[in-house]
Order: sequence, then structure tokens, then C-alpha cells
Amino acid sequence: MRPAATVRAAWHGLTGRPLQAIIIGLVALASTAASALALGMAVEANAPFDHAFARDRGAQVAITVDTARTTPARLAATTRLPGVTAAAGPFPLTEVSTAITLAGAAGALQQQVVLTGRAAPGGPVDDLALDAGRWATTTGQVVWARTRTSLPVTVGQTITVTSVPGSPRLTVVGVATSVTGTAQAWVAPAEITALHGPGVAEMLYRFASAGTTTAMAADISSIRAALPAGALVGTPQSYLTVKQQAAAQVAPFTPFIVAFGVIALVMSVMIVVNVVSGAVVSGTRRIGVLKSIGFTPSAVVAAYVLQVALPAAVGCAAGAVLGDLLSEPLLSLSASVYGVGVLLMPLWVVVTVPLAMLALTGVAALAPALRAGRMSTVQAIATARAPRAAHGYAAYRLLGGVPAAPRALTIGLAAPFARPARTFLTLAAILFGAIAVTFGVGLGTSVSRAAAELSGSATEPVQISPPAGALTAAQQRAIVAAVNRQPGTLHYTAETDDQLAVPGLADPISVVSYPGPARWTGWTLISGGWYQGARQVDVNTFFLTATGTRVGDTYTLTAGARQETVRIDGEVFDVQGHASDIFMSSAALAALVPGLGADQYDVSLRPGINAQSYANALSARLGPRLDVTTTTGSPVFASVLVLDAVLTVLLIAVAGLGVLNTAVLQIRERAHDLGVFKAIGMTPRQTLAMVVSSAVGIGVIAGLIAIPAGVALHRYLVPVMGHAGGTNVPGTLLSVYSPAELAVLAVAGLLIAAGGALGPAGWVARTRTATALRAE
Amino acid sequence: MSPLVQLEHVTKKYDNLRVDAAAAVDDVSAAVAEGEAVAVMGPSGSGKSTLLNLIAALDRPTGGTVRVADVRVDSLSETGAARFRRRHIGMIFQFFNLLEDMTVADNVLLPAQLGGQSRRRARARATELLDRLQISRYADTYPARLSGGERQRVAIARALVNEPPLLLADEPTGALDTANGEAIGALLLELNAAGQTLILVTHNPDLAQRYAHRVIQIVDGRVADDSPAGLTGARP
Ligand SMILES: Nc1ncnc2c1ncn2[C@@H]1O[C@H](COP(=O)(O)OP(=O)(O)OP(=O)(O)O)[C@@H](O)[C@H]1O
Ligand SMILES: [Mg+2]
Repeated sequence: MRPAATVRAAWHGLTGRPLQAIIIGLVALASTAASALALGMAVEANAPFDHAFARDRGAQVAITVDTARTTPARLAATTRLPGVTAAAGPFPLTEVSTAITLAGAAGALQQQVVLTGRAAPGGPVDDLALDAGRWATTTGQVVWARTRTSLPVTVGQTITVTSVPGSPRLTVVGVATSVTGTAQAWVAPAEITALHGPGVAEMLYRFASAGTTTAMAADISSIRAALPAGALVGTPQSYLTVKQQAAAQVAPFTPFIVAFGVIALVMSVMIVVNVVSGAVVSGTRRIGVLKSIGFTPSAVVAAYVLQVALPAAVGCAAGAVLGDLLSEPLLSLSASVYGVGVLLMPLWVVVTVPLAMLALTGVAALAPALRAGRMSTVQAIATARAPRAAHGYAAYRLLGGVPAAPRALTIGLAAPFARPARTFLTLAAILFGAIAVTFGVGLGTSVSRAAAELSGSATEPVQISPPAGALTAAQQRAIVAAVNRQPGTLHYTAETDDQLAVPGLADPISVVSYPGPARWTGWTLISGGWYQGARQVDVNTFFLTATGTRVGDTYTLTAGARQETVRIDGEVFDVQGHASDIFMSSAALAALVPGLGADQYDVSLRPGINAQSYANALSARLGPRLDVTTTTGSPVFASVLVLDAVLTVLLIAVAGLGVLNTAVLQIRERAHDLGVFKAIGMTPRQTLAMVVSSAVGIGVIAGLIAIPAGVALHRYLVPVMGHAGGTNVPGTLLSVYSPAELAVLAVAGLLIAAGGALGPAGWVARTRTATALRAE
Repeated sequence: MSPLVQLEHVTKKYDNLRVDAAAAVDDVSAAVAEGEAVAVMGPSGSGKSTLLNLIAALDRPTGGTVRVADVRVDSLSETGAARFRRRHIGMIFQFFNLLEDMTVADNVLLPAQLGGQSRRRARARATELLDRLQISRYADTYPARLSGGERQRVAIARALVNEPPLLLADEPTGALDTANGEAIGALLLELNAAGQTLILVTHNPDLAQRYAHRVIQIVDGRVADDSPAGLTGARP
């Protein structure tokens, strides 16, 4: 047997059944796109920080030095210390007060900004990614740093420096991302001189060994030792903190991405098996003819596998491209989450996923193709039509006996029983599709709620704080007066934060305290209640995990010589710092640490008030010595929401194609019978009803199973996602399905089924009867 | 009284796009009166089945008019055509065209059920037909188990369940041996004697002569001859 004949037979099989080839191609496309997207995001989500940090040569240690207390030579010497592999700087720094206008908000925001003098974006350490515009080359220009929390400043706008005589204006000429993340804005070094910089500068280092806290501590002390006493300003910054936070940000989302990827794979396998077995079953005659003219069994197998592999190959390749395209906006969202420049879908994912999907398709095609190869020639030719299983007969009888049901409907409903295996695979495809929809919708709600609850963007969108230290009594009076006078204020409260060292815990615990109750501030309780008296506190999950305590336990807090035993009244949903947090009344904190002043004020707004406009107006009243900031949702949630929606849509498409395929197969096999039906008086509408009802029966069953399954998957995965992020999740994130929503979702399976069957059914209904009767 | 079937200048071209394409049915005019038995004969490919399909509203003519029981069949919608067939047409085919996954009884009942007839009436009618055609013992079996002659009886029962005024048979004996063919022919003759109008396509001149009042000869889509026949029922 010449291979050319096999290929030609496969080719004719393909072109003779264009719809089947298109369905295989589209299923391969959608599943490859979904899997590639899911895998790519999961991989990138695991190590984007490391990738970007290595690529951009991020600084492992950043120090600030007082240039008056050291010399350029001593600074240069630190860059040659053993263990230092690369260094950059000194970059002169100055802190200025500025007025910044932001799009969509009235007025200007008064803000303290640290400017870094830097001649070029590149360098041996902290190679910056210029996202927009160009570098600042002369005075009067500034490049804004894009970070997770930076203001949305754009190229072309101006920033007014209000703390320098003459209020010079800086034009934003570029926006750049620094993986090191210590800078707010860059200017040409000459600008620092022009603005009368105070003589401090930043040095950036990379080391040979920097993987652990111990190694980092050793690296930092070697630099400290090489500098004159007092030359080091503030605390040297280690990249490990940033890295841990970045990892913790993303960990929660891996489980859901994996779940979607697995669903996509399972669905595509089922549909491919269905398509290929259908091709074999409905091509029985053709197989017989091929063999009678001299095709060997293996040539038949090869022809059938090829017939699937060709369109699948095209679909897989297109799917990889689509997945790559879809990943671009998502990855750029993630990039902004980590504050890294550009993330790309790893090449190996783009290559491996379509190949794996293709291999999977081939394997799925093999079993039915082997059956075709083994089939006896005589038998194949003799059965003019596909052999039909006996199961269908009983179902026809049974359903035919249902009184008052229109006959066309009962015939349609019985049809799935004629091919139980195909029905099962179709059911499974719709089922998984409907589960994906149910889960996807629920996850969307959970993520939106988590985003709102964690950021407090809905409940306390505006904060007022001094650039450093606590608020003075005068400042507090000014804030209270300004907030009271500013229209749009709903509530406000002072907040006093502190760090408490706890024996046995490596890191200090952050304390958040309010003078009064904390209900409206937007923190959500996972369990228990809010603190009432001075000896009651609430804590987050990290605290419970780290201290091995539970809600209702007592715990002894120590601050210096003072000790207070408090009862843990509730567990708070709070993952902001990815560290232990404790909430108490200001009085309780004062009992431990007397004399603390308020650190900031939190403000909630009346409905319909623009937070940034409110913040601008307030900062105009308060002046540049107080920072007025607004809370915005974390982009990580936005990126998860988009990914959730994209994957859900892809899986719905795959499920719909599965139904389409089944409907087409069923119609093809029964083309002749359909002609008979019409010849004896079945109207087009009855024909449509018959074909659609055969799919809808499956859809209803799938919907009924999928709802509880999808809800269960949601119930299971959301806490898993929470635990991956180190927290329990509050009930509000779990009970996300309203009865109305569930009712709508229950029809999801139905809609997928009806959607997939309607096209072919309409085609049959329109076909001329004489043509159908002739059809083989 | 107008004839039951009236064809006027009926033409059917399958390839509508080509003007010079040969017509499968070419300018045929004919009429069949109620109670008549008409045989249509002609070489293979001459257009006999096409003509039958046009009468049954299974297909639409390219030109001319087809009237059955005063219904303009050529201009019916698909839905209208289906309703028309239910009420006026019973069809039997060379290869029976039974639905293999339904029992004999269900096959026979189906047209009545599609028409929304009451269950009881449909059943009564089906039972009566099965009795009359001597196949009631097969009511609950599937067509695959039956012989060709038995299958054709089931097809005839199915065609008659809605009591159509017109029975169309496209080579009903073509797939049967001589004895079975004779039996089916006799059955059709009996039906016609009871008043059933019948149009029968056949290749067998002997059958046409014995079981029809009239024989229409079709050659290349045209009526070549239309003359009375013996309708003796007996073998010469
Ligand atoms: N659906 C169709 N599409 C195109 N051509 C057709 C179609 N049906 C029939 N024909 C052509 O129309 C002509 C008449 O066909 P028809 O089936 O009516 O002949 P027939 O007299 O019934 O032949 P036979 O005795 O072999 O059954 C033939 O040339 C045939 O090839
Ligand atoms: Mg014919």
C-alpha cells in the first residue's frame, strides 16, 4: 500500500465531510487556547518576579547614604567588595512636595515625592523598562515609576514642585518600571542639584549569594562595615521581602487556573473521541469500500487518524496563537501586579501545549480508527447504514407510550438512547461546560467581593496620613476640621498602628486600632465577632496560624515591660501584608503602649462621590505636609476576573461544539430516516423539535448535575485558593450564588445543548424531502 | 367533478442554474380521476420517481401546476406540504423505507400521531389495517425481522393509516420475488376495488396491464403514450 493512497483517502474523507473537519479544528483550537492560557498563566504566576528580576538585574540590596559622611572613593570601594557582583549609583535623591493632577478627578493632589537622579535607564543593576515616552535628559523633565500602588500619571502631563521657591514644573516625558521598586520618579542628575538636593544618594547592589535571609544579612553587614559610621541612612532594603509579597499575591490563583486547564483537557478529549467514533460509525460503508479495493487494515487506521490529525493540527496551531494573543493583556496586568516590565508567555508553553493536544487527539482517534481497521469488509459493505444499538428500541417504546406528549418530541428524546456511548460523551462535554460556567460565575463574584473587601476601596476609599511618623495634635485637629467641612464625607475614624514584638514569632505583629467600633471600615469577619472592650481583639488568619491559636482563645501580648492578656473574639479577612495582624480598640493599644498618637485617618464617602476628586479637594485644604491617598482595587483581582471570563467562554464554546458535533452525526446517520419522517407528514417544525429535543434532554440532565457540581467545586476551590494565600475565607465569598442566579445557571446546560443543536436541526428542517430520501 | 390529480405542463429541472440542462420531467400534462388505478412505466431515469415526488409535494416543479384534491401542491410551503401529505397522500417505496428502530405497530401509528389524531382512534385504525393486511402477529416486532413482502405490507399499512385519498407506489414490487410481488399486486388491486385511487410506478409491463386501468408511458421526461389497460388481475 502506497502511503500516497492513504493520504488521498484521508483527504477525500476530510473534504467530503467539511463540517466534521471544521468541528475537530475548532475544538482543538478552543481547547488549546484554554489550556495554553491556563498553563502559561500558571507558570508565569509562579515565577514572574524571579524571571523579571533576573532579566532586569534587579537590586538585591538598596541603601541610602549621606554623601557628606562618605566619599566617592569609599562608595566606589563598596562596589568591589568580595561577593558583590554588580553595583550602580550613587544616584542623588531629594524629597519634594508636589501638586499632581490626575485624569478624571477635579483639583490637584498634594503629594511628597522622592526624585532619583539617574542619567540613563540602563545599567549593570536595575535595568529599567521604559513603558512609555523617553528618558529625562535635562532639567524640567521627569520619568514616572509605575508600581502596583503608583498614581496613574501619564506622559505629557506636568507635576508642580511646590516645596521649592518658584514652584518649578516638571514635564512627564516617560513612564518606566523598575523591578527593584525603590524609586517613585526619576530626573536627570542635574535636576537634583537644581532643586537643592540634601546630599543623600542611593546605591544598588547585586551579590553572588542572596538566596536566603542569612546570606542577605551577611551581604548587608559587609557593606555597612565598608562605609564610615553614620554614612548609612535608614534601613537597607532587601529584595526578599518584595519577592515574598509578590509570590503570596499570586499563590491563591494557581488552583483555579489548574482546575480550568484540567476541565479544558477532559472536555476536548471527550469531544475528539466522539467526533472520531462518529466518523467511523457513519463511514462504515466507506471503510468497507476502501478495504474491498485493497486497503489494508493499518492503511484504514492511518487514513482515519490522519483525517482527524490534519484539521486538529491546524486547530492546535491556531489555538496556540490565540492563547498567546489572549495572554498578552492578562500578562501585562500581572506585570503591573509585580511591578515588572513585560511578561511573555513562555515559549515552551506555546510549543508544548499544541503538540500535547495534537498527540491527545491522535490517541483519542486511534481507538475508533482501530475498530474501523478490524471491521470485516463484507459486513461493512452489507450494512448500508450504520448499525444501531438495541437500547434505542426500548426507549422509543417507552417514550412513545407517554400520553399527550407530541410524537416528534418523544422520538427526539428517545434518540440519545440509541447511542449510549456517544450520549454519555456528549453529556459529559455539556456537563463540564456547565460546571465551568457555574464555577466561573461563582468565582467571579467571590473574586470581586474579595477585591472590594481586602482593598477597602468600597468602604474606606480615602486615607490621610503624614509622610512619616504620627500625626501631631494640631494635624489631627486640622484633619477633623477639613473632613467635617468637606462635602461627601460619610464616616471618618482615626487609626493608630503599631508593631508588637511577640515572643516566639520571628516577625513583629502589626496592630491596627480604632477609637470606636470598626464595623464600617470594611474589614470582613471570617468567624466570631468584633472586639467590644479593652481586653478583646480580632486577628487575621496569619496570626492564628503563626501562634497556633483559635477564636475564643486568650493570648498574652507584651510590649516592653507591659503585658495584657486578651481574648481573641474574631478572625478577620485580611491578607494585605501577608503577615500577622491584630485589631483592637485604641484604648487597648494605649494600655500596652501608652502615648501613641493616631497614624492616619480613614474616610468613607457618600454614594456617588469620586474618591480622587474628594482626595484632591481634601489635600488642597490640608496642604502638602499630609498625604491624602485613595484606595484602589489590586490589579491582581482584575487579571483573575478577566482570565476567569476568558476561560469560561472558551469552555462554553468547546461544549457547544461538542453538542453541534453530536447533532450533526445524529442527523447524518439518520438522514434517510429523517426523509421518511418528512415523507409521511412530519412538518419542518416537528423535525426541528425532534432534533433539538434529542439534545435538550441531555442538556437538562447536564444542567441538573452541573449546578451542584459547579457549586461544590466552588465551595472546595475558593477555600483552597484562600489557604494558598495563607488565609481562611469569609462566608460572604462562599455563598455567592443567589437562587435567581442558580436558576439561570440551571438553564446553562440547556442553552449550550439547544445552541449546538439548533443549526443542524434547522438545516434538516429546511432540506427538501426528496433530497433527504435519496441521502444515504 | 374535477379529477383527483391534475398535472398541467409540469416541468422539473434538477440543475436550475443551467438553462440547457435536460429536464427530468418535461412538460407533462395528465389527470387521474378518483377511484382510478394508473400505472406509470418507462425506462430507468425517465423521470417516473420525479413525477411521483412532485405529486406527493416531496419536491417542487420548475414549471407548471400540480393539483391534488384541488390543492395547488406546487406552491405549498414545507410545512404546508407536510400537512398535505398527512391528509392526502400515502406513499410506498421499492425499499420499504420503514423506520428500523420502531416496531411495526409504531411505524404504522406514526403518521396518525404526527397528525395529532387521538391515540385510541389511531390504534383502532392501525389494528384494523394490520389485521386486513395479515401482519397483526408482527405488531410488536421490529422491521428487520420481517421478509420483504411482509415489510411492504407494513409500509402499505403505514401509508393507509390516515385514510389518504391517493396512494402512490414507487416500484412496490421491485425488491420482491415473483410470488411476493404478485401478492402485493393483488393487495393493491383489492384496495383499488374498494375505491382507493392508486398511482403505481413499475417496470413490469405484465403487472401494469393486469393491475391498472391505464398505463402512462414516460420517455425522457415526456408522456409518450397514455392508453387503457386490462385491469384483469389475472395472469394471462
Ligand atoms: N435529486 C436529483 N438531483 C439531480 N438529478 C436527479 C435527482 N433525482 C433524479 N435526478 C435525475 O433525473 C432523472 C430522472 O430520475 P428519476 O429518479 O425520476 O428516474 P426514474 O424514472 O424513477 O428511474 P428508475 O426507473 O431508475 O427509478 C435522472 O436522469 C436522474 O439522474
Ligand atoms: Mg425511480
